[in-house]
Amino acid sequence: MKLLRTLILRPLRRDLLRTALTILSVALGVAVVVAIDLSGDAATGSFRSSMETLAGKIDLEILANGGIDERVIGRLTALPFDARFSPIVETQAVLEGVGAVPLYGVDLAGAPENAIVPSRTLAERLHLAPGAPLTALIDGRPWNFQVGRLAEAGSAEFLAIDIAAAQQALGRYGKLDRIDVTVSPGEDFARVEQAVRATLPPAYLVEKPGARSDENQRMLRAFRWNLRVLSYISLVVGAFLIYNTISVSVVRRRAEIGILRALGAGRATVLALFLAEALLFGIVGAAIGVALGRLLAGATVRLIAETVNALYTTSRPAPITLTWSEASIGVVTGALVAFASALAPAREAMSVAPTEAMSRGAHEHHARLRWRRGLAWSAVIAVLALAASQAAPLDGYPLGGYAAALLSIAATAMAAPAVVLAVNRATRAIVRRRVVGLLAGRSLTASLSRTSVVVGALSTAIAMMASVGIMVGSFRETVTQWLDVQLRADLYVRPSMPASAGAYPPLAAQVPAILASIPGVAAVDVFHGLEFHYRGERATLGAGDLDIVRRYGRLRFLPGTDRDAVLRSLPGRDRAIVSEPFANRHGIRTGDRLTIPLGGRNVTLAVAGIYYEYSSSQGYVIVDRSTLLRYLPGQPATNAAVYLAPGADAAGVQRQIQLRTSGYGVAVAPNSELRRNAIAVFDRTFAITWALEAVAIVVAMLGAANSLLALVLDRRRELGLLRYLGASAGQVRGMILTEAAFLGVLAALLGLALGFALSLLLVFVVNKQSFGWTIQFHPPGELLAGALLLVWSVTVLAGLYPARVASRLNPMDVIHEE
Amino acid sequence: MLELRGVSKTYRNGGQPVEVLHGISLTATPGTVTAFLGRSGCGKTTLLNLAGAMDFPTSGDVLIDGRSTRTLSESDLTTLRRRRVGFVFQFFQLLPTLTVLENVELPLLLAHAPQAAETARDRLRWVDLEDKRSSLPYQLSGGQMQRVAIARALVHSPGLLIADEPTGNLDTASGDQVLSLLRESATRFGATVLMATHSAEAAAIADVRVSLRDGRIQSIVGP
Repeated sequence: MKLLRTLILRPLRRDLLRTALTILSVALGVAVVVAIDLSGDAATGSFRSSMETLAGKIDLEILANGGIDERVIGRLTALPFDARFSPIVETQAVLEGVGAVPLYGVDLAGAPENAIVPSRTLAERLHLAPGAPLTALIDGRPWNFQVGRLAEAGSAEFLAIDIAAAQQALGRYGKLDRIDVTVSPGEDFARVEQAVRATLPPAYLVEKPGARSDENQRMLRAFRWNLRVLSYISLVVGAFLIYNTISVSVVRRRAEIGILRALGAGRATVLALFLAEALLFGIVGAAIGVALGRLLAGATVRLIAETVNALYTTSRPAPITLTWSEASIGVVTGALVAFASALAPAREAMSVAPTEAMSRGAHEHHARLRWRRGLAWSAVIAVLALAASQAAPLDGYPLGGYAAALLSIAATAMAAPAVVLAVNRATRAIVRRRVVGLLAGRSLTASLSRTSVVVGALSTAIAMMASVGIMVGSFRETVTQWLDVQLRADLYVRPSMPASAGAYPPLAAQVPAILASIPGVAAVDVFHGLEFHYRGERATLGAGDLDIVRRYGRLRFLPGTDRDAVLRSLPGRDRAIVSEPFANRHGIRTGDRLTIPLGGRNVTLAVAGIYYEYSSSQGYVIVDRSTLLRYLPGQPATNAAVYLAPGADAAGVQRQIQLRTSGYGVAVAPNSELRRNAIAVFDRTFAITWALEAVAIVVAMLGAANSLLALVLDRRRELGLLRYLGASAGQVRGMILTEAAFLGVLAALLGLALGFALSLLLVFVVNKQSFGWTIQFHPPGELLAGALLLVWSVTVLAGLYPARVASRLNPMDVIHEE
Repeated sequence: MLELRGVSKTYRNGGQPVEVLHGISLTATPGTVTAFLGRSGCGKTTLLNLAGAMDFPTSGDVLIDGRSTRTLSESDLTTLRRRRVGFVFQFFQLLPTLTVLENVELPLLLAHAPQAAETARDRLRWVDLEDKRSSLPYQLSGGQMQRVAIARALVHSPGLLIADEPTGNLDTASGDQVLSLLRESATRFGATVLMATHSAEAAAIADVRVSLRDGRIQSIVGP
């Protein structure tokens, strides 16, 4: 303990700034991981229906694609068992000042027709008491209610009205969304379940409660995994910095270690001392990181919830809760990362012989000799990375892709010393012309092991930024091009409800005919969207007038498909086209047969083609309207695409539509607005990705400043000597800044190369395996150049303080230190 | 030409003033070697730092070529060191990352002087180490390193050469070589050589021997 205090803690106190920088790097790395985890839990953890809270224990849920025929309730209640069957209609209502809240149509036995039951939390927020009037927009139209009782449901916010009122408001007469089943404790549960299944049409789903929540979590698995992996980047960069700090510590104390060993200290003692130093950084940094992460989660939860809502399913963020176990996991993660990063330098310390009190020059000379070995290892690891990238996903996770990414980072780190030397050699003739260049270049190659670690850390951060930049840029360009072919109609009409993935509010039945009757309208493609369950996952079943799509649209199919022939083959037949993510997710190929429970029947559809689609990773199955309506007669349309006749005035037609459908609660958007909104959703989705990248870059910058400061402090004597030899303070400053610039250029070069490799993995392995879509490769050149310039400038800025320290050293003090 | 007029130097140590030099006055002329003798801590190194314009006296004046160092700005001092002063240290103080030739040409490069490499090679030839020009310092012996240091100190033909215990870390043979080079610096290049030493052999090559004791001049022997 005393050794730890004198050999480790005391120098840390003396070097307070560097200690603080290292701890801050760990803290930021852990904070990002904790923030993403907490906010991910909060944003996606609230799928449990608020109704479950209200209704108490539920044993089974009955669901059906396209809705449940309410007549089955009569058959179920006639079963000779003591069980309760609660019919439910689910939708969303819009309240002024609150926005969208879940609305449930339930059996409010004995309540007046216009009664509405808000949850207590919602009522308190709106200052509503029993008897108060409340207007809610349902399906875009205002409905007036009177508050009945309040529902006790914890922190959940929702509204409940009588099921008949809900069916009337939604125009879903005779249809239910769900039936909750509660079986009395005295009954034989298995027998009841069997009897319930036997009573229902074969295509109906009978599930245990929580199955939908599990389904949601499964649906979000890839999204959360990728976010989590991204959040670990800062920690990886932080690991480089811990490695660097401990390496510096070992190099500086080689003489002390030699003396300690000569005085009888064992190898294990030396190893333990340096691992303890790393653990100290890890634990203190992680503890700060956990607290910081809890704060950050408040900011990130909204971003994640918006993405979940826009791309996956309706969700309201739950409160963020940091449990002791989560906090402990955060601290342990930080400590483990620190411990693992320090192992190599601590082992090096352990191998210092008692007689050895070598100078840095000799030690670094060895490091220089080892670059060939590093390069050979780099090549081996790169081959392994290539092999890992070819692996198939494991249980839906692109583990091979992640492994390949990690191996690529390792291969780059191993190649760093060789690259530093090679660049130095290549630029020797240029830098020699200026003395600060000569000194800076030599100094960096002389401290090769340390320089390589800093370059490794910086290049990892730059590579992550570049790869995500290339992936997002490529994805954005792909989506933009896809929107061009997908959105061919001039105007789009949908119910004026807040948009959310997985929610398909019906369009009033009169609207399609009104649209078709407006002068200037050439065609109206009426679309029916409904969520359906397929092999334990959720997807969207869509139906449109595929003849109109064929004539006006430009849907793109996978290569080798005759678009026209495929679209012609669908109307009136049990044939479907599926989106690429759906096909990849379920291993479906053209020509396969797909059995989908529709209403009360299981319908088998032949897959006529696979088309490119980028709005849902869950995927689409598209049939012609005529096919859908054959199995689900009366299924309401959910939106409509309006194609104008040549020369028609789009703004005029839009005004006419708004005028003539004003009573039906619809929203009309021109093509350009829809396109803009789609890109806005895309950009919002990736906002958090950029934020994570920024943190990784900040951590790397802290590392650069930290390392440059270490280089300055280690070379005090040399810097002092330069002043004796006639160097001005400006020249010393210039030398350190040149080193920073050199580091920046090296890191940018390596980072860009690694970034390209990682972007290929992200685009063609991780994204494809996680989400199932094909992204066209479009590296955003200008963005990358700008970002690299920014990172390089910030690296130089990170050298300002160390440069100032170097130029202010007292030469007489440092030259006579020996 | 170097002149010290009533030079005193006081440092603060733990808040307490410590007088390291007291009322030192002397003159050193070009082409001569002046040796400062005395025990460790008697003020030799401080005196050399003041003479080399690395530090300022607390009172009195240091005049190099008739100009007081007190009147010089930071950039003037840098220029003065670049043109007029060369240093040789006990521990050689070569930059480990530069080759022998680069170490020698460094003062010229810092001063943006032309033909640095040629001049440096010339000086290396003089110290008989031209064949080692591509070596790194750790590949040399102590004596060789100190000869490189002397070549570096004289590469820009300074008027003033300051050597702090130049043989303190060398064996006798190497020390003799170094001393003869220092002597030659004065006679051949006309430099004013100031040398701090403990060694009687080193003091023997000097024209003037100044004994210091507790920061004061005890005796001056020489012309």
